[in-house]
Amino acid sequence: MSAMTRPVLNKKQVEMNYLLHEAPREKHFITGAQAMSEAVKRANVDMAIAYPITPQSEVMHLVGDVFAQGHIKEYYRAEEELGTMSAIAGASRAGVRLFTATSGPGLIRGLEAIASWPGHRVPAVLGILTRVINAPLSIQPDNLEMAYMLYSGAVMLHAENQQDTFDFTLAAFAIAEKVDVYIPVAVATEGFFVTHAKGYVNMMSEDLVYKEFDPVASPVPAMDNETPPARIQRDAPVQKSNFMSYLIHSVWQQEIWDSNSRAMKYIYEYLGGPIEVQNPGSDIMILASGCAAAQAREAHRYAQEEGLSVGFVKVKAIRPFPKNEIREALKSAKKVIVPEHNIVGWLCTEVKAAIPNGGIVLEGPRVFGGMTLPVELIMFEIYEALGIEHNIKL
Amino acid sequence: MSLAYITPSERFKKYLPKDYVELIDFGPFGKSQEEAGPGNMGQFKELMEEHPMCSGCWMAYYIRLIFASLPCPEETVTIGTAGCGRLAISQAAVPFIYGNYGDQNAMASGLTRAFRLRFPDKTKDVITIAGDGGTMDIGFSMTMHSWIRGERFTTIMLDNEVYGNTGGQSSGMSPKGAVLKMAPMGKDFEKMPATDLAKAAGCVYIVRMSPTNIKAAAKVIRRAIFVAREVGPTFIHAYTSCNIEYSIPTEDVFADAIELGKGRFKFDEYMTDEAKIVIERVEGEEKIARKARKAAKAEAVN
Amino acid sequence: MSKIVEVGPAGYMPQSAPSMGVELAPEGSALLYGNTVTPEEAMRDAAIALLTRKNPTIFPGPQVLWDWKEDVAEKSAAILDLASEIPNCKIIPMPDYRPKYPKIDVKAEINPNHPNLTILDNRIEACIFVGVHCHYANLTLRMIRAGTNCYTVALCAYMGHEEAMASIRDLHASDIAKFKEIVIEERNKLGIKWETTLPPENPSLPKEDNSTLSPADYGEYRSLIMTKKGEHITDSE
Repeated sequence: MSAMTRPVLNKKQVEMNYLLHEAPREKHFITGAQAMSEAVKRANVDMAIAYPITPQSEVMHLVGDVFAQGHIKEYYRAEEELGTMSAIAGASRAGVRLFTATSGPGLIRGLEAIASWPGHRVPAVLGILTRVINAPLSIQPDNLEMAYMLYSGAVMLHAENQQDTFDFTLAAFAIAEKVDVYIPVAVATEGFFVTHAKGYVNMMSEDLVYKEFDPVASPVPAMDNETPPARIQRDAPVQKSNFMSYLIHSVWQQEIWDSNSRAMKYIYEYLGGPIEVQNPGSDIMILASGCAAAQAREAHRYAQEEGLSVGFVKVKAIRPFPKNEIREALKSAKKVIVPEHNIVGWLCTEVKAAIPNGGIVLEGPRVFGGMTLPVELIMFEIYEALGIEHNIKL
Repeated sequence: MSLAYITPSERFKKYLPKDYVELIDFGPFGKSQEEAGPGNMGQFKELMEEHPMCSGCWMAYYIRLIFASLPCPEETVTIGTAGCGRLAISQAAVPFIYGNYGDQNAMASGLTRAFRLRFPDKTKDVITIAGDGGTMDIGFSMTMHSWIRGERFTTIMLDNEVYGNTGGQSSGMSPKGAVLKMAPMGKDFEKMPATDLAKAAGCVYIVRMSPTNIKAAAKVIRRAIFVAREVGPTFIHAYTSCNIEYSIPTEDVFADAIELGKGRFKFDEYMTDEAKIVIERVEGEEKIARKARKAAKAEAVN
Repeated sequence: MSKIVEVGPAGYMPQSAPSMGVELAPEGSALLYGNTVTPEEAMRDAAIALLTRKNPTIFPGPQVLWDWKEDVAEKSAAILDLASEIPNCKIIPMPDYRPKYPKIDVKAEINPNHPNLTILDNRIEACIFVGVHCHYANLTLRMIRAGTNCYTVALCAYMGHEEAMASIRDLHASDIAKFKEIVIEERNKLGIKWETTLPPENPSLPKEDNSTLSPADYGEYRSLIMTKKGEHITDSE
């Protein structure tokens, strides 16, 4: 089907708060990939650029269908991820709403461009469907790649399940485009475990869409020959060797991280806050993000049934990192268990650095290379931490 | 034409620096080529004046020429990458996007498509201007694929046959045998066949030239932009020597450009039938407009 | 009120205001030294600074300098009305955001990449930024706070600026008019006599006239530019 024959849809434009919190929803049983593309369908995206990689491909196939159905205005498959991410940066200068997604090695390939998006003030939404990045090559889930994103300057959300993937992706557009934020928002979730598994997702009608992108309400001028000034570079080569050019670069970097931290209030507004806490004040706290949070939640339920003093923290926002919130949630914990889907334990490191008594944070449990995270693995750590005898054999 | 963004707000005009007021009053915005084209450089306020290029730089001259030749500077966006060229391009009074290394044609792909969806009834010209390294080495895949996809914008390669900005390293476009940094024993493979690659990748208008003739060079730049608006990707491969790295005495820069214009930069113009139709139409229209202006002028004199 | 954001110079590489805990003011409020206050309170402090500190200057940015939107005429008129009530106020524009090459004419303009050159050369100790895109405004305001003793006022059409000493958000022409009234009130309170006068026009430097340049102008370096008779330099490195 060519672009010429795509249907013209007449949808009702609404504010993000109405879309997320008020619009009536219906329950669907869909995969994480479908959930992400359904969010894109309702986000009034102008342009999506795709490049295949397993397990992300499904998302961008589905977004392609969403384009063909007339929900978004432009879509193409680029040459590879660096080309994709660069094209996103180019299109963003024209003042349009943008979406792309990638996985593991694709993210790493596109990282040169992605790491420059915040400084270039590119308010695009990036789906990250995690996958092994290290050799030997594998397509399996593992979120080590997120460690490489931590210092890019982008806002990062980590979705636990299909519902999160839908809600976070939708909210990401509103967060990214705030005048005081205006940097990319990455929405990550685990490949296969979430992208290819079905779950219940409550979704609003697809006749509702987020209000149109406003290229004028921006902290930088669109390069569209409509917005002054005429003599403009985005962004200026400021690498002359003198103090003023060092200073402009350093205040520029500060501005990006300030923009990142300004996103926090919108994370509260749209997602109810950067963390979810159950049973605060327990001796043992299980803290996890993404898919690991689903398993941690289950371990928490087991522990409740057994009457153990165990609480649960789910971290939704990885950047800006909710230091204060986590410090508050863990303030009376004796031990913190951080289950993760990677070998380095980047979340564990972040949590250790966030609290004054980092020694209470246990290293793990961790699985990687595609291994699943059995609830027993977490229960084992709980029993060990509480000094309870058990017969879990792993 | 959207001149609004370069029109001073009435009350503030007298508070603008002279340089900006001159640009508005005497610059090329909204003017024809007879009024403000390469033929009468020096008689209007140019888009690019001061720049930090080396003395005797042929690339600086050509970039100045590109800006003087733009059919519609107020609706043009340029994209470049690391290299000498961007030092001058970024000084022009035309929006300039400077992204990452060699990404200019990928950026332009996104930008032109986004322009078309935002402004379906307007023509906005996108031109990537990058060096031989940015276009044919580090940006090769993005350059080739933008052409293969048929992206409608103009690519200009400023070929000085060396990485001038980083200190004189050999590039894919350096001639075989050239002794340069990173090719200390002499480059051991041929200069890349850029125009052949462009043809194979589907560019619809391709020119290789040493831009020694101002009129001819300007004509090529304009043709490339007009064709890109309607038909498909266009490519200009221009020789813009590096007098520093190739040790060309300043007074010999022009002679060198003439000489190479007879050799590996011999003028070569390729166009598809579709491109030809556009060129003939636009140049025909321009001719009629020129005659009409001449007649009107003569009448005014009488 | 404790001042979180103070008039500089804050030093070599100051912490940014947001990292010192300053948050943007909510709708209907303003920021004064990093604290949330009423817009009137912020305007009053700003007015006193503009009336009492040396060389008050308004820096209009591209969004009000160029005639691209319907509200520009109204806003630019309001800005000039305000300027004409501040004694000896200057207007130095920020027409664009590109670093100036080869050098900035500091009497004629200010640039977000090196704002201190203009502030320091003109000894500006109180200024207003208006119509500058937020990203560039934040960079500029922090650099000014780092390296100068200038009191900064940000009049912003969006959410305001943590880095400014006084920041007004959601700015309309009517807010500028209100600011003007406050300036007049404070001026009268301070007993400063002033007749409404528009600031002087842009004092751009005349273009250098190279046609009258002679080797003598190069002083001790003249030998470097003068080739000796018959000399022809062909060597290059």
